[in-house]
Amino acid sequence: MNRLNQLPTLRITPSEKLSLNYRGKTVQGVAGDTVATALYANGVRVFARSLKYHRPRGLYSLDGECSNTCMDVNGVPNVRTENTLLKDGMVVKEQNVKGSADRDWLAFIDKLDWMMPAGFYYKTMHKPAAVWPVAMKQIRKAAGIGVISADYQMRGQYDEMFVKAEVTVIGGGAAGMSAALAAAESGQRVVLLESRPHLGGCFDYRVSTTAEGTPLYQRARELAKQVEQTGNIRTFKHTSMVGAYNNNLITAFQVGGATDAFTERYIEIRSDSVVVATGCIERPLIFDHNERPGVMQVGCAHRMARTYGLLPGSEAVFSVGHDLGLEAAVDLFDLGLKINCVADIREDGQNPELMLALAERKIPVLKGWVAAKAHGGKKVEKVTLSTVEGTVNRQFPCDLLVASAGLTPVTGPFILAQAKMGYDSLTGYFLPTTVPEKMFPAGRLTGVNDPAAIEASGRLAGLKAATAAGADMGNLVAAAEKAAASLPGPQRGCKLVTAPVKGRKSFICFDEDTTIKNIKQAIEMGFDVPELIKRFTSAGTGPGQGGIPGHNLPLFVAKYTASINTPVPTTVRPPLVPTFLATYAGYNHHMFKHTPLHDSQIKDGGIFRNIGVWQRARYFSDDFDCKEEILNVRNNVGILDGSTLGKFRIHGPDALKALQRVYVSDMSKLKPGRIKYSAMCNDDGCVIDDGVVVKLRENDYYLTTSSARAGQTVEWIRYHTRFDGWDFSLVNLTDAMGVINISGPNSGKVLAKVIDIDLSSEAFPFSGYQEFTLKDAIFVRAMRLGFVGELSYELHVPASYTQAVWDMLKEAGAEFGIRNFGVEAQNVLRMEKCHVILGSESEQRTNLLDLGLGFLWDRKKADAKTVGAVALRQAEKDVGRLKLVGIRMEDDNRPARDGALIVDNKVRGYVATMRKSFSTGQAVGMALVESQLADTGTRLEIFEDECNGVRLYARVVAMPFYDPKGERMKS
Amino acid sequence: MALILTCPVCGKRNGYEFRYGGEDKGPRPAEAGLTPAAWCDYVHMNKCTAGVLKEWWFHRDGCGSWFTTWRDTTKNLEVAQPEASK
Amino acid sequence: MFWKSKPLWGSKTRLKSNYDAVIIGGGLHGLATAYYLAKEHGITDVAIIEKRFIGFGGAGRNTAIVRANQRTQYNVPLYKEALDLWPVLTKELDYNLMFNNCGNLNLMHSEAAMKSARMTIATAQFHGVESHLIDAKQAKELVPALNISEDITFPIHGAMFHPPGGIVRHDAVVWGLAKGAAKHGVHIHQHTEATAIHTEGGKITGVTTSRGRIHTPRVLISAGGYSAGLIYQMLGIKLPIAVLTIQAMVTQPLKPLLDHVVSSGAYHCYANQTLKGEIATGAHMDQWPNYTTQNTAHYIKHQAEALSDWLPCLRGVKFMRIWGGLADMTPDMAPIMDGNDHIEGFYMDCGWGYFGFKSCSAVGKYMAQFMASGNCPDMLKPFNLRRYENHQLMGETAELVSYTPNN
Ligand SMILES: Cc1cc2nc3c(=O)[nH]c(=O)nc-3n(C[C@H](O)[C@H](O)[C@H](O)COP(=O)(O)OP(=O)(O)OC[C@H]3O[C@@H](n4cnc5c(N)ncnc54)[C@H](O)[C@@H]3O)c2cc1C
Ligand SMILES: [Zn+2]
Repeated sequence: MNRLNQLPTLRITPSEKLSLNYRGKTVQGVAGDTVATALYANGVRVFARSLKYHRPRGLYSLDGECSNTCMDVNGVPNVRTENTLLKDGMVVKEQNVKGSADRDWLAFIDKLDWMMPAGFYYKTMHKPAAVWPVAMKQIRKAAGIGVISADYQMRGQYDEMFVKAEVTVIGGGAAGMSAALAAAESGQRVVLLESRPHLGGCFDYRVSTTAEGTPLYQRARELAKQVEQTGNIRTFKHTSMVGAYNNNLITAFQVGGATDAFTERYIEIRSDSVVVATGCIERPLIFDHNERPGVMQVGCAHRMARTYGLLPGSEAVFSVGHDLGLEAAVDLFDLGLKINCVADIREDGQNPELMLALAERKIPVLKGWVAAKAHGGKKVEKVTLSTVEGTVNRQFPCDLLVASAGLTPVTGPFILAQAKMGYDSLTGYFLPTTVPEKMFPAGRLTGVNDPAAIEASGRLAGLKAATAAGADMGNLVAAAEKAAASLPGPQRGCKLVTAPVKGRKSFICFDEDTTIKNIKQAIEMGFDVPELIKRFTSAGTGPGQGGIPGHNLPLFVAKYTASINTPVPTTVRPPLVPTFLATYAGYNHHMFKHTPLHDSQIKDGGIFRNIGVWQRARYFSDDFDCKEEILNVRNNVGILDGSTLGKFRIHGPDALKALQRVYVSDMSKLKPGRIKYSAMCNDDGCVIDDGVVVKLRENDYYLTTSSARAGQTVEWIRYHTRFDGWDFSLVNLTDAMGVINISGPNSGKVLAKVIDIDLSSEAFPFSGYQEFTLKDAIFVRAMRLGFVGELSYELHVPASYTQAVWDMLKEAGAEFGIRNFGVEAQNVLRMEKCHVILGSESEQRTNLLDLGLGFLWDRKKADAKTVGAVALRQAEKDVGRLKLVGIRMEDDNRPARDGALIVDNKVRGYVATMRKSFSTGQAVGMALVESQLADTGTRLEIFEDECNGVRLYARVVAMPFYDPKGERMKS
Repeated sequence: MALILTCPVCGKRNGYEFRYGGEDKGPRPAEAGLTPAAWCDYVHMNKCTAGVLKEWWFHRDGCGSWFTTWRDTTKNLEVAQPEASK
Repeated sequence: MFWKSKPLWGSKTRLKSNYDAVIIGGGLHGLATAYYLAKEHGITDVAIIEKRFIGFGGAGRNTAIVRANQRTQYNVPLYKEALDLWPVLTKELDYNLMFNNCGNLNLMHSEAAMKSARMTIATAQFHGVESHLIDAKQAKELVPALNISEDITFPIHGAMFHPPGGIVRHDAVVWGLAKGAAKHGVHIHQHTEATAIHTEGGKITGVTTSRGRIHTPRVLISAGGYSAGLIYQMLGIKLPIAVLTIQAMVTQPLKPLLDHVVSSGAYHCYANQTLKGEIATGAHMDQWPNYTTQNTAHYIKHQAEALSDWLPCLRGVKFMRIWGGLADMTPDMAPIMDGNDHIEGFYMDCGWGYFGFKSCSAVGKYMAQFMASGNCPDMLKPFNLRRYENHQLMGETAELVSYTPNN
C-alpha cells in the first residue's frame, strides 16, 4: 500500500524500513508502525479468527480493546499487535487456527450458533456421565487462544522502579498535559503517564483547529514541548497505568524503547494526589455482523491515515453517533477516501460547521440512520443502513465501514480506586458519583469535547491536585474554575444501544463471541444483573479486558429489563492492560540470610538448604543418613555452624518481670553467671519456643531462641508486656553474633588448645556459662550445653570474628579429626537424646505438658500472669491429648518413616521423627500419641503410607535412647 | 492496596512494615477464677466488626513498637478515633 | 438441541411472613443446605435470604479447587464425601458442574515438608483417599512446566499427588444448586438483606429483612465471610474468626499447559488451568481483618515473582484480571459448624477460610440433617464451637497462624 508520506501528523518514519516475518514470508514495515499497521500496509485484513464461532476478525480499534488482532509474536502468545511497536525481525503468527485466519477450516461452526445458546455447556455433555470426560478434553483443546510451550524462556530485561510524587497525571493528552503543567507550577514532583509512545492523545492526529486557529495536532506538540521542558515533570511514555489502590498508589508498566536498557519496566508510584485524564474510547455500534473485517471505529480509521499514513479503505460508509465521526469523514475524504454515505444516529445536535463541510464535499448524510447489517464474508462488501426505528432500509457498497455509537470514558482508574459509578443521563456515561480522595477527573472523560474546555479542565484538575498535595496555589484555582466554567460544558451523548436488529449475529463482546441474543437468553433465565451475565455468557472476560462490552452491556441490560434510567455499571479489575508476569516480577529477588560462616561451610562441602529465613548447611556428604558426621560427634569431635540461633539481650529494672511473663519457669531463681533452659508458650499453653536464659548480672540477661522464632521474639515479649509500662530494653543480637558449636568427647581438648581457662567440670560444669577474650581481642560467651548429648560447647562470638574463631578451632582440632556436621546430623543426634525441635516433635496444638516439659513450669508465679499458664492449668487433666513418647520398632531393621500414623481403627497419633540409630543400633524415634496410648510398654500399630495393608509395630519406650543418665554430656 | 499506618515513633509508613496484633481487648485478666470460656473469649474471640475498630499493630520492619490505632475494616484505611469512643 | 429460556431458579416470589426455615446467605453452603433440606428431609418451606445475588460472595470468587487430602481424620471423611458428590450432584441437578478430576499436586520444598506430607498422605490412604508422595522428577513428568532446578528460592523436593481432586465449575455449582432447591420449592430471595434475628426465651422466632419480617423457628447463618460479624451483631455470639481478604487472578487464555492443579505452600501460590484455558492462580491474604475484597499491588507482583520461579514459562504470559473475596479464618484452619446449642433453632456454618467450596456439597447434606433433626450428626460433631475453650484445636494446620496475635 502507498503511504501518505507527507502528513505533518505522522508518527512513523517512512524512510526507516523494518522487516517482519509473517506466515513464513518477509514483509516490510516502517519505524513507528505497530505490528498490525505494518501487516495492514501489506494487505492483511484478517488477523485472527474468533474463539467460539471461528469468525474472521480484523483491525477494529487500534487501542487493544479486543483480541481481534492478538497474535503470536516471537513465540509470545496473545500479543496485541495493534499497539505493539514493530521491531526489526519480528516473527508473527496467527493463533488458534486450522489452516489460516482467513481460510479457517472450522469456519462452518459460525452456522451452528443455534446449538450454542448462552450457557449451553451447563446443560449438555453430562448425560450419560461417561460423555463428560471425553467432551472435556475436546473443550480444553478448543478453548484457549495462544500457545506457550512448557519450556518457554522469556527473553529481555525487566526493570522495576518505585517512585514518589506529589501529583500523578494519568493520560498524556491535552487535558493531562495541561494538568501536569499546572500542577508543576507548584514546584511539586509531577509524574505524567501516557500509554502511547508519544504524548498528544486525541489532539495528536486531528487537523481541526482551536479557537485561535492552531490545528489540534500542532497544539498537542506545543504542549508536549512545554511538558518536556518542565524540570519537575517526569514523563513516562509508552507506559500503561494498570492499577490504582488506596492512598493513591498507582502501578504502571513501561515498554522500553530502542535505547532503553529494559524490555519492560514495572513502575509503582506513591502519589499524594492523582489526575485522571484518560479520555474516551468509542462505544461500539451493535448491528448485524458488526465485527466483520473492514468494520472499524472512527479513531481507528482516522489514526490509520493520520498517524500511520495508511488510508484504511477505498470506499467507505460511516455510521456514527458523535461529531468526531463527522470530523473524521471530512478529513479522510480530503485525504482521498471515497465516502458513499454518512449515517448519523442523531436526529439533531451536530456541529453545523462539520455539516457544512460534509455538504461542501457532497457527502450524503442521513440523520437518524444507523448501520443495520454488514454484508460480506471475510471482508465488508456492502452495508444496509436503516432508520433508527428500522422502518426504512438502504444499501451502500463499501470496503470500509466506520462505525461508532458514541464515546465512553475510560474510567478504569476511578473504578479501581473504589469510586461509586453512576449513570449520567446527559452524556450517557458512567461517571464517578463520589470521587475518591485526592483524585481529580479532567478532559474528555468529563464529557467535554471543546478543545479549549479540555485544556481548561486539565489545568483546573492539575491545580486542584497540587493543592490537595499541600501546595498553596493562591487564587489560581478560582481563576481556573472561572475559565473552565466559561467554556462549553459536557455534551449530550448518543444513547442508541443497538441498531434495530434481532441480534443473532450482533456481537456485544468480540473476544467471547457473545451476541445480543445470548444476553437476552441469559436475562430470561434469571441472570439479570451485568455481573451475573458476564459470568454466565463470559462477555467481557476475554483478553480485551472488557473494553468492547464494558459500556454496552449495562446499557443493553437496562434497556431489556426496562430499567433504562438506572443501568448498573460493570466492574473492571486490574491490570487494566494485560501485563506480563515477567514485567510484574521485575528483578525477582531471592532473599535468604547467610551466616558469618557461610563461605567456609561451602568450602567444606556443605550441601545447603533454605531453612526459614536462612541458608544452612544440612549435609556434608552425599550420604543423607550422615553416618560419618554422626559417628564423628559421638566418638570424637564435630563442629557446627549454629549462627542462626536467636540471640537477645534484655536489661533494665523490669527485665526480670518481662522474663517471668513469657517464660514458664521461675527466672527469679536464676543466679548471675548461670544458665536456665526454659520454654515459652502461647495463650493456649502450646509451646512456641525454647532456649536458654543466662543471667549476666542483676537486671541483665542474655537469651537464646530457636532459629525459627528469632524474628518474632521482640514482638512477642513486647506484645505480652504492652499494657504494663515496664522499663526494660530488648536487643536482637541474632545477626550480630555467630555461634559455633563443638561437640563430642574430644571437644574439651580442642577448646583447651585455643583458650587458657579452666575447662574442668568443676570450673565449667554442664549448664555453665563463661566469658573470655581470645587473643586479647575477641569477646566470647561460652555455654556448656548438650543438645546432641555429648560434651559440648556453644561459643557466641561477634559476627565479624566468628570465622577467625572457627578457623582456630578447626586448626586446633585437626589432630583429633575434627569435622563439620550439618543440620541433619544434629537432628539425628538430638533425636537419640529425645531433645525436641519445635515444629518437628510438636505442632500448633501441642502444649508444654504434652511434650513432657511440664517440669519447666513453675506454677507458683500467678502474679506474673505467665503466658500459657491459664490454659495449661485448664487442660492439665484432659485425656486424649497427643503426648510425646519415645518409641522403638519391634524390628530394629525397619524404622518407620517420619509421618507414619499410629492407628487402631482410627488415627491415634503419628511418628514425628524416627531413625535407625547408628549410636545404639536400634530403630527409635519420637511420636505424638493419644494419652491413652502413652504408657511405657504400650504396643503401637503403625500405618505407613503405601503400606498395602502391612502394619508395623512398635512399643512405647523410655526416653532418651542414648546415654539415658546423661553421663556423656554432663561429665 | 496500599494500607498506610501511623506509627507513634516513625510516622506514616507502608502497611506491610507492620504486623497485626488483634482487636483491642484490654489488659490481661487476673488469673484467679478465670473460666475456660472467659479465657477463650480473651484469647480467641473477636467481634469481627465490619467498620471502625481499635486494633493493635507492631512496627516490625521499623522501630519495634506496639501501638493501637483505629482502622475501618470496610475500607482498609486508618481513621481518626471515632468521637463516640473518646 | 433447542432450548426455551426460562428462569433457572424460579421466578421472583413474594417474601412470605412465615417459613419453616430461613437461611441467611445465598452462597454455596446456604444453597446446598436448602437443597438437601427440601430434597431429603421434606422441609421445602425454606427461604434463602441473599443481600445481593446468589454467588455474590466466595461462591462466585473462588478458584474452585476440590480435594480430600486434608490433615486430620475429622476432616478427611467429610471432604471425601464432598468430592464423591460432584458426579452425583451433576446427575441429580441435571446441570453440568464440569468436574475436572485432574488431580492435585502439592509441592514440597524441604525435607521437613516432605515429612509432614507423608503424614497427610498416610491419613488420606488410611481413609481410602488416594494420595501419594512423589519426587521432583515424577512431579515434572506430570507437570512439564515445573522448574525443578536447585536454582530457585524454594527448590522442589517432591510433591503430594492426589489424583481424585481437581476443579469444578464454581458458578455451575451455585446455579445448579439454586435450580435444584427451587425445583423442590425453596424460595430464593435475592436483593434481600437480613438485618436482625429475633429470639424469645432462648429460641429463634424470626428474622428481619430489608423486605420485611419473617417468622421462623430455624435460622442458619451461612453468609460466608460475613457470618462472624453478623452472628456477633445479631446475637452477641463472638467467634474465633478473623475475616481477611483473599485474592486470586487469571492469565489470558492459553491452549492446554497445566493438566493438574499445582500448589505450593512455601510460595503461597497455586495454579491450575480452567476449562477456558486461563491459568487461575492465588492465594494471598493480607494478615489482618479486611472486608474490602480489594486486591493489592503487593500481591500481583508477589504472584508473578513466585510463578517466575516455579512455572517460569508463564513469564511470557499476561495477567488479565485479579480479584478478591473474603476468607473467614479460624485459629486451627477448620470450620465451625454448630447449632441448637447456645440458642434453640439457631445454626451456624462458617469459618471456612478458603476451603468452603470443596466442602459445600457434603456440608449442605449434613447441615440439613442437623437442622431437620435438631441433633448434630456425628460427622459434624468435632467442628463445634466449644473446642476452642476446651483447648482442643483441631490440627488442620500444624503451623502457627499469623492472623491472630497468639503466636
Ligand atoms: C479468591 C478465593 C478463592 C477461593 N478458592 C477456593 C478454592 O479453590 N477451594 C475452596 O474450597 N474454597 C475456595 N474459596 C473459599 C470459598 O469460596 C468459600 O469458603 C465459600 O464460598 C463459602 O461459602 P458460603 O456459602 O459459606 O459463603 P459465600 O459463598 O460467601 O456466600 C455468602 C453469601 O451471603 C450473603 N450475605 C452476607 N450477608 C448477608 C445478609 N446480611 N443478608 C443476606 N445475605 C447475606 C453474601 O452476599 C453471599 O452471597 C476461595 C475463596 C476466595 C475468596
Ligand atoms: Zn515505628
